[in-house]
Amino acid sequence: MDLLRGCISVVAVWAVCMNAYGQRTIELPEVTTNGVRPMSDIGVQRTVLDSLALKENVALSIADVLAYNSSLFVKNYGRATQSTVAFRGTSPAHTTVTWNGMNINTPMLGMTDFSLIPAYFIDEASLLHGTSSVNLSGGGLGGAVQLATRPKDEDGWGLQYVQGIGSFSTFDEFLRVNYGKGGWHTSTRVVYSSSPNDYKYRNRDKKENIYDDDHNIVGQYHPWERNRSGAYKDLHLLQEVYYTTGKGDDAGLKLWYLDSNRELPMLTTDYGDDSEFENRQRERTFRGVLSWQHRRRGYKIEADGGYAYTRMAYDYRRDSGNGVLAVMTRSRSRSHTIYGNVAADMYVGRKWVISASVKAHQYFVRSEDANPFEGVGGNQIFGYDKGRVELTGAVSAKWRPTERIGLSAVLREEMVGREFSPVIPALFLDYTLVPRYNVVLKASGSRNYRYPTLNDMYFVPGGNPRLTHESGWTYDAGVQFAVGKSGRYALSGSATWFSSYIDDWILWLPTTKGFFSPRNVKSVHAYGVEVKADMTMALGRGWHAGVDGSYSWTPSINKGDKYSPADNSQGKQLPYVPRVSASVNARLTWKNWTLHYKWLHYSQRYTMTDNSASLTGTLPPYYMNNVSLEKLFEWRRLDLSVKVAVNNLFNEEYLSVLSRPMPGTNFEIFFSVTPKL
Amino acid sequence: MMNVIQSHIMRMTVGMLACVMMCACMEWNYGKVEDFDSPDRGLFIVNEGNFQYGNATLSFYNPATDSVDNEVFFRANGMKLGDVAQSMTIHDGLAWVVVNHSHVVFAIDVDTYRERGRIAGLTSPRYIHFVSDTKAYITQLWDNRIAVVDPTRYEITGYIDVPAMNQATGSTEQMVQVGRYVYVNCWSYQNRILKIDTTTDAVVDELTVGKQPNSLVADKYNRLWTITDGGYEGSPEGQERPALYCINLGVFEVDAKYEFYMGDTPSELAINGEGDAIYWINNDVWRMPVEDTRLPLRPLVRNRTTLYYGLTVDPETDEVYIADAIDYQQPGMVYRYSADGVLKDSFTVGITPGAFCWKR
Repeated sequence: MDLLRGCISVVAVWAVCMNAYGQRTIELPEVTTNGVRPMSDIGVQRTVLDSLALKENVALSIADVLAYNSSLFVKNYGRATQSTVAFRGTSPAHTTVTWNGMNINTPMLGMTDFSLIPAYFIDEASLLHGTSSVNLSGGGLGGAVQLATRPKDEDGWGLQYVQGIGSFSTFDEFLRVNYGKGGWHTSTRVVYSSSPNDYKYRNRDKKENIYDDDHNIVGQYHPWERNRSGAYKDLHLLQEVYYTTGKGDDAGLKLWYLDSNRELPMLTTDYGDDSEFENRQRERTFRGVLSWQHRRRGYKIEADGGYAYTRMAYDYRRDSGNGVLAVMTRSRSRSHTIYGNVAADMYVGRKWVISASVKAHQYFVRSEDANPFEGVGGNQIFGYDKGRVELTGAVSAKWRPTERIGLSAVLREEMVGREFSPVIPALFLDYTLVPRYNVVLKASGSRNYRYPTLNDMYFVPGGNPRLTHESGWTYDAGVQFAVGKSGRYALSGSATWFSSYIDDWILWLPTTKGFFSPRNVKSVHAYGVEVKADMTMALGRGWHAGVDGSYSWTPSINKGDKYSPADNSQGKQLPYVPRVSASVNARLTWKNWTLHYKWLHYSQRYTMTDNSASLTGTLPPYYMNNVSLEKLFEWRRLDLSVKVAVNNLFNEEYLSVLSRPMPGTNFEIFFSVTPKL
Repeated sequence: MMNVIQSHIMRMTVGMLACVMMCACMEWNYGKVEDFDSPDRGLFIVNEGNFQYGNATLSFYNPATDSVDNEVFFRANGMKLGDVAQSMTIHDGLAWVVVNHSHVVFAIDVDTYRERGRIAGLTSPRYIHFVSDTKAYITQLWDNRIAVVDPTRYEITGYIDVPAMNQATGSTEQMVQVGRYVYVNCWSYQNRILKIDTTTDAVVDELTVGKQPNSLVADKYNRLWTITDGGYEGSPEGQERPALYCINLGVFEVDAKYEFYMGDTPSELAINGEGDAIYWINNDVWRMPVEDTRLPLRPLVRNRTTLYYGLTVDPETDEVYIADAIDYQQPGMVYRYSADGVLKDSFTVGITPGAFCWKR
């Protein structure tokens, strides 16, 4: 048996899985009458991002998808610039991110830039909230994001080309060629995005002066400016090969190459001339994963191996007054990651599943700046060259003693470098309260640890090898439900309370030497509520509607000791973590027409640890509205869809981060061609 | 029954969406312009803010009334001061605020704080020094040139090339004028004091001191004092013991050198109005009469788990003002001590208060 049959036999519409965000499309399908809750998900708080969200348009990154389809706060430094997340009120490094099983958090910084992951390259995405991330790995004090690719379930040739043309001379191209025969499937995907990204905005942080002949200021106004030094060119290639025996053995090879060339935009408060300098970041990353799964009655074994290489280059060059750009900063880093994973599940009767897994990442990082005294190409390394192995192993037992109750326990142990973590325990429980409406209660709790990154320990200048690991306790409890009527409607929802305590939080702080250095300084209590809801409905006469939404209330409070008697940060919300974030997606379809409305809200983000309200450091709440209309034309030899998207519908002036301008209303039109081969 | 449920759900959904669409405006406070008329005497506090957040601010403290006005630049001008305000100099009724990472120097009225002009086109300005009413120097990071500006026209009129320095290693900092010569400490990865002839706007001599001299003052005997921070562990230029240097300007040589412990971080050298005592921060706050021939054994003000970041001495009363950056991410605190180190007052200013400027 591949899954232990669950307790509930329900009227389940496929559009509604046990979590609020199941695989769904706007059209209501035939009824599935037997709901099965996988043993692996006992007590797990998981948000599944559906394929409609992932494949909404070629211009979206996973950062955009997360912002509009989850309770995570996405901190965005501008359009097509670094985007990180705060998961349950934690820092970006507290979210573990995997791609086809391999951890893709940068070993140098610990975080992931989601703006560099095109949503069109991801076929399955899910979030493991808090404790639930311990099922995947340690270190995810906020949670984990699982991203994966999957083969297309169709034989023969497939071809899709999407061309996007948008405001600010933005061009997005996507091509997919896939072929399947027998047990073999292969797919090649390409995404290329480029734009000078010079959107116009009213600069409220500056004023232009109007002078008289004697150089007296006789007037001032907030200028309209363009986003300067913000151009980007991103290329992504994804090659996949899959083989399945059809008898329970699957193998897959996934290769992803990205080449990103981005300028770093100027601040709103910068009076410099963008023609006099270059501020550019380039990244080349290759990731490859080879996976194998072996499923038989009563057990499952899987093994993965992978390799990743990232080369980052940062250059700051300035015109020295003679027309020649002088190199001022030249940073280079190379990281190699070797990855391996073995996992097994054993089903004991109908009530037990015993699992074990071992996952290893070996990192080699060389990070260096050009020595300013030797010039470019100098021999002396001004940086570090380090390697570190990170090993994590877990055993778990899942037990469903009755149809309504599920219990799961995980024990995880990690080794980072030569240091072993204390044992990481996690407990999960679920109970079906009302089978008819799939009302399920869930609860979980765990210990967790996160180790300093290589930059935290070795970066020059400032790295602190004496840092200790962060440690945390996390608990959550919630309820979810799912109801529906075949072909008519489907409704699901969930509400979860969570509480996390994190000690020895690592923070980079300035020093009197003029650079930053990390220290274990904070204790944080992050708690709150996450609510999700999802509804789809057949309205008759070919009309279908779907709405889903998420809401999270996330106090993330500094509970550490005062730095000094003057410190007012104790008991205050962490900077750049909104207490409230919410999003809504609404879709309406009629025949081949689709109208999609997206809405997003973040409450005020404090920029100071004492939460004081200053005139110059305030980020007010904002609401973002996007809308798109798509028409599909079906012909005998090809399908053509035309989609018009309007972002920032109400032309709102808003900021995600201080001094980082965001674009006003902007447009993009997409043409998608799918020949019927 | 199902139709009723369906209808209710539909109505709720439409209602919710309507509410959602109506919530579409960010609440902005663009900052109204206020009128100020500050007293004749007081202390400006330059708050750096956080690098790349553009949240530098300016505060003004009135010692006579123990009152402080914060964010006065924004409140007077309706715009932000910028990113990393570094220093301020008052000359002829105008306060010149150097905003390092905004690449600009603002000139504001010392009484109303209203902008009177600005100098742009700078690489990475650090300090401004007035040679005359029509000429000023602006030192820079990431540039091997000191800008010469005409403050009456707010224009760069030329540059002083600094020898043995390129753009990547360029660092000129504080300036002190004695007679016709301006002396400049070169800090970041540097170890020199420059001597500039103000009649020719050229470097005419230089003196090698320890690694990274970060501040500079002249005493009543027209001797220069500078403090080096010694570099840092892992620096390509190495690390050494920080030191306090006394420089004889007659021969332009080091008169005396007082070494600190390895790993100490002395900075923020300041001098009182009489020019007979120097002060600095090295975890605690220290005071040393300029006639002394050794470092003091005990500090003037002890560290109280504070993070001392800026220092000034009232030129009339010798009261000591110490800026506490706290955690660098909240409004800092300034402590006002009597000349003999007794706490008299404290007041909250802006983020990362790093520099002071007396209005008198």
